[in-house]
Amino acid sequence: MNSQLPSSSASRYKLGIDIGGTFTDLVLLDEAGGQVTFAKTLTTYPDPTEGILNGVQEILQKTNLPAHTIGTIVHGTTLVTNAVIERKGAKTAVITTAGFEDVLEIGREFRYDIYDIFLEMPRPLAPRNLRFGVPERLDKAGQVLTPLQESAIAEVAERMVRAGVQSVAVCFLHAFANPVHEQAVAHYIDKHYPHLYYSLSSDIMPEIREYERTSATVMNAYVQPLTDHYLRNLEARLQALGLHSVIHIMVSNGRLTTVEGARKAPVQLLESGPAGGAMAGVFFGKLTHTPNLLAFDMGGTTAKACLIHQFAPEITHHFEAARVRRFKRGSGLPVRIPVIDLIEIGAGGGSIARVNELGLLTVGPDSSSSQPGPACYGRGGQWPTVTDADLVLGYLDARYFLGGAMPLHVDLAREAIRQHIAEPLGVSVEQAAMGIHRVVNENMANAARVHILEHGLDPRKFHMMGFGGAGPVHAFQVARLLRLSRLIVPVGAGVTSALGFLVAPVAAEHIQSYVSVLERMDWGKVNAMLGALEQKGLDFLRHAGVSPDTATITRMVDMRYLGQGHEVTVAFPLGQLSASHVPHIERAFQQVYEQRYGRNIADIPLETVTWRVTVSAPTPTSHIAQAVPRISTDGALKGRRIAWFPECAQPMDIPVYDRYALAPGDAIVGPAIVEEAESTTVVGPDSRLEVDSFKNLVIYL
Amino acid sequence: MTNAMLAPTALDAVTLSILWSRLISIVDEAGVTLQRTAFSTVTRESNDFAVVLLDSQGRSLAQSSVSVPSFLGVLPMLVKALLQDYFPPETWQEGDVVMTNDPWLCAGHKPDIGIVSPIFYRGRLIGFIGTIAHSPDMGGALWGAGARDLYEEGLMVPPTKLMEAGRPNETLFRIIEANVRAARQTLGDIRAQIAANEQGIRSLQQLLEENGLEDLDALGEQIIQATEKAMRKAIAEAPDGVYTYTYDADGDGLREPVRLQATVTIQGDSILVDWAGSSPAHYLAINAVMNYTYAYTAYPIKCAFSPEVPNNEGAFRPIRVTAPKGSLLNAQKPSPLGGRNITGNILHAAVFGALAQAVPDKVQADCGSACWCIVLNGRHDDGREYVEYFFLNGGYGARPDRDGEHVLSFPTNVANVPVEVLENSAPILVTRKTLANDSAGRGKFRGGLGQVFAFRNIGQAPIQISILTEKTITRAHGLLGGEHGAYGKLEIIPPRPLPPKGLDKLYPGEEIILTLPGAGGYGPPEQRKPEQVEWDIAMGYFSRW
Repeated sequence: MNSQLPSSSASRYKLGIDIGGTFTDLVLLDEAGGQVTFAKTLTTYPDPTEGILNGVQEILQKTNLPAHTIGTIVHGTTLVTNAVIERKGAKTAVITTAGFEDVLEIGREFRYDIYDIFLEMPRPLAPRNLRFGVPERLDKAGQVLTPLQESAIAEVAERMVRAGVQSVAVCFLHAFANPVHEQAVAHYIDKHYPHLYYSLSSDIMPEIREYERTSATVMNAYVQPLTDHYLRNLEARLQALGLHSVIHIMVSNGRLTTVEGARKAPVQLLESGPAGGAMAGVFFGKLTHTPNLLAFDMGGTTAKACLIHQFAPEITHHFEAARVRRFKRGSGLPVRIPVIDLIEIGAGGGSIARVNELGLLTVGPDSSSSQPGPACYGRGGQWPTVTDADLVLGYLDARYFLGGAMPLHVDLAREAIRQHIAEPLGVSVEQAAMGIHRVVNENMANAARVHILEHGLDPRKFHMMGFGGAGPVHAFQVARLLRLSRLIVPVGAGVTSALGFLVAPVAAEHIQSYVSVLERMDWGKVNAMLGALEQKGLDFLRHAGVSPDTATITRMVDMRYLGQGHEVTVAFPLGQLSASHVPHIERAFQQVYEQRYGRNIADIPLETVTWRVTVSAPTPTSHIAQAVPRISTDGALKGRRIAWFPECAQPMDIPVYDRYALAPGDAIVGPAIVEEAESTTVVGPDSRLEVDSFKNLVIYL
Repeated sequence: MTNAMLAPTALDAVTLSILWSRLISIVDEAGVTLQRTAFSTVTRESNDFAVVLLDSQGRSLAQSSVSVPSFLGVLPMLVKALLQDYFPPETWQEGDVVMTNDPWLCAGHKPDIGIVSPIFYRGRLIGFIGTIAHSPDMGGALWGAGARDLYEEGLMVPPTKLMEAGRPNETLFRIIEANVRAARQTLGDIRAQIAANEQGIRSLQQLLEENGLEDLDALGEQIIQATEKAMRKAIAEAPDGVYTYTYDADGDGLREPVRLQATVTIQGDSILVDWAGSSPAHYLAINAVMNYTYAYTAYPIKCAFSPEVPNNEGAFRPIRVTAPKGSLLNAQKPSPLGGRNITGNILHAAVFGALAQAVPDKVQADCGSACWCIVLNGRHDDGREYVEYFFLNGGYGARPDRDGEHVLSFPTNVANVPVEVLENSAPILVTRKTLANDSAGRGKFRGGLGQVFAFRNIGQAPIQISILTEKTITRAHGLLGGEHGAYGKLEIIPPRPLPPKGLDKLYPGEEIILTLPGAGGYGPPEQRKPEQVEWDIAMGYFSRW
């Protein structure tokens, strides 16, 4: 039972709403019986609320439920990230320490590409003429060196408002150590300009490193007005429909915040969409008793992979929004919020294959997108893509793509591959198609392998979950390259992310930088700081309607050897801390460090940098109803076709199954193909597929 | 199968694509570990390291993607020298590790330490993996341009086995420990390099196993040939000719400036850069050894002709570089070398200046480089010692189709240290970090602005300071009608003379103001679009046009 919900049957339904670029997916869970109902509507522009309301109505009709029975709505949206990418946020100003107005524009001074002299750096969200310095200064410990005068605030506030600024970011040097000056600005704005939005760096990211802190705070200010407007509107419209549900918003680390929390710190919503996909990994991991899972999502333009370790997604604090070059680290605006750590590479169904200047076969990162799309779409695409190769290899059925909604042209796929790949390389069209398939699989496996190793984990201890339109087509071979032993292709392929929303807990992370070596730590200060951070978290949960008794508190601290520049995150014990905890903390650090880097360095003092306290409600349990088992797969066999596999030189005549006709207990020996409307699961040779009691496909490699 | 000659076509294009990406992935992965565990600021913040995989003859097959230009082509020269002059192939055992920081074999100054490990597979030596990284300290004078000769620059370790068949050479470890300031950090970084090599070896052995390969020879041959072919093709498209460019630089910034004289010959599919006519070796420690000159000369050529081609032996075969023995760019013992980066970081300007005559659409105008380096050394009020390095970059040069970026590192790639981090590390208060208005050269496309960075000693004791500046008496060149950038400035309050390159003290209460030069413009300023001029003025980047 979910503690966030009143246990009356009147509100036992939980609704997940995921807004994507094309579709808005909805999933309704009856928390009593575990029945799940799906709906899919077109995302509406410019106001996605329309699409949500259409979907809600559809689902209410399907289930014949009155609106008020929906107790909780869990919502994920790409609103914030799109606003930053498309530069559609508010007119935003910065108030900062005089003499440091250009920190936001100077950034960290390094190039993200060593050899491209034509590179461009991301433009700041607040232009130079809207960045105002005021005389004030704190030292590294937060002591006031130059007091901030109210007259100075008054002067810049007036200039800002005259310039038509809607939202302002306040970022003073060392404000993470003492928010006093930032709060003075807040009080002044509250008093004199109550309609002006503001974000304080000491609220949004009280963490050392002025550029990164300013960047996150400015981004928050930039998206705050539009997020506020959107959420108010959504609440009002849902209420008008008769829904008085609690609304929770999916944030970037796979946890939920309240509408209030989202309004205050909308920057947390940057990765709201992808977080749903990662949490779906958690959902299906629990359903299939798989604690360590590589959630592999391959769509039209990219592939994403995320590690689920012990039923929890890996989290990072190094995130960049709106990269100038999508797949280039360092080309975006840094935001050090907690984000589910996922890698994204330019490998999707639409990724284009070429023979490059070195005579090598390359695939991606550029994509034919949906317009004109792969050659086989017959919409004028000339370049061969991954989907064209999959079609030629017999993995896809030209008459059953998207359930038959879109006929594919094998002849166009063959021609594009012949002209651009097979002839230049002097091989057959099938060999060229197999080359494309292998290269894109290798690219994904390489990226996943490095990602897993960066976390100091052993790839072979993971199982894979494949989803997204192209995921189940490629997951088998990627899993084989990574030497994984088991692949899960979940049920409900079209709405996987929305399912992830149902297992996310309500939680908040509050942070504070305190740079000190362990042996000189002021433990009184530490305990006071941790107490305050915990109180903030408990207050947040109380406002979200969660009983503090059920809350879990975790303390994580970014630590490093004194003198290093990178930190690792270490779990700290709860309760009052003192010097007597030092040996325990040292051991914990060494364990994490050793896991990540394979070694330790003796004799160098340890330093703490940023302290993170998460207060979380219990994770909702994920009961969904089981399907009815059956004995024979005969009715599910649709036919046979010829397909090529990298394991065999010759094409094979293999069975094709209808996924909708498969039932729990069915077993199939690979090679085989399983088709459903949204995707096709390719099962390679020397493997066995079983349909589990939830109708997931479980493949043993 | 033995190494006796697989035909070069032994691997099909698909298999070659796959294995090649795996090799690059292997060195990148080793690089990530090295960078994350390093203590040295420059190694971790500035990617001042390289991991290179080499075949049994010392030819490079893959280099880590993120490393800075200073290491281009250096490890293959080192490994070839090791094989020829120090450790012939039959003397290597599994578990050996060779170390050296000889500037003529490595990367041109003592802090850059090269660590090379042999790769054995099924009992046979099939290649090497090497890392070069900037160590926290190698003893001698505080790092900078201040040393009078090589011997003042600290410990030099000729190629020596640091590990022999897995057994550490305790004597060498003790010698290093006894000679350097931050011994634990320096030895920690050396161990990180060894670990990175070991990780690379394991991954490579796994790759050989998985793909049924016995060695790297056939694969390596194909990689090198394909790369060389692509590089030559790109060069062949440029018009043949001899292009020259003269470039004056600060030298000591007082009495002894230096001159770079580049003669770039494009002939068919190869390029020769000759530095004859450049200044002789300098009394300051700004001299470059040939390896280093090669790296920073080849770098802009690679940027112009084939930025996409991966780094390996093949990319460098078509590029030859010569410089007169004993000159600033081919310094001999005992010339001091510590601040050679100041010289390396301006070579691109002369090379691009010459190439602009042949391929004007492939080059950029001069940057406000070299990157300025400041080292602060002293004791906190509670007695703890600190040595803090930080780097400041000027403007980035205008391009044929767009403006230069403000304050961006080139040709090296060094991140700044955040003000808040700096103030936690040394007893200083930073009083200003802003763009330097009006500092860039105008042009059809303008250069990027430099920056103003000022700080004050707020401790009780003087701070020993090493200063390395450039372009305080010279300026960043504009290209093809673009104007020069502004001069950099080095000031102190209260005013007194400071060495533009050298050591001094910053007394309590004194404030240093550094104004980094802006970059050069590209094309005539009259051709600039009026709305671009208006924007620059509205933003205050320029006060007038």
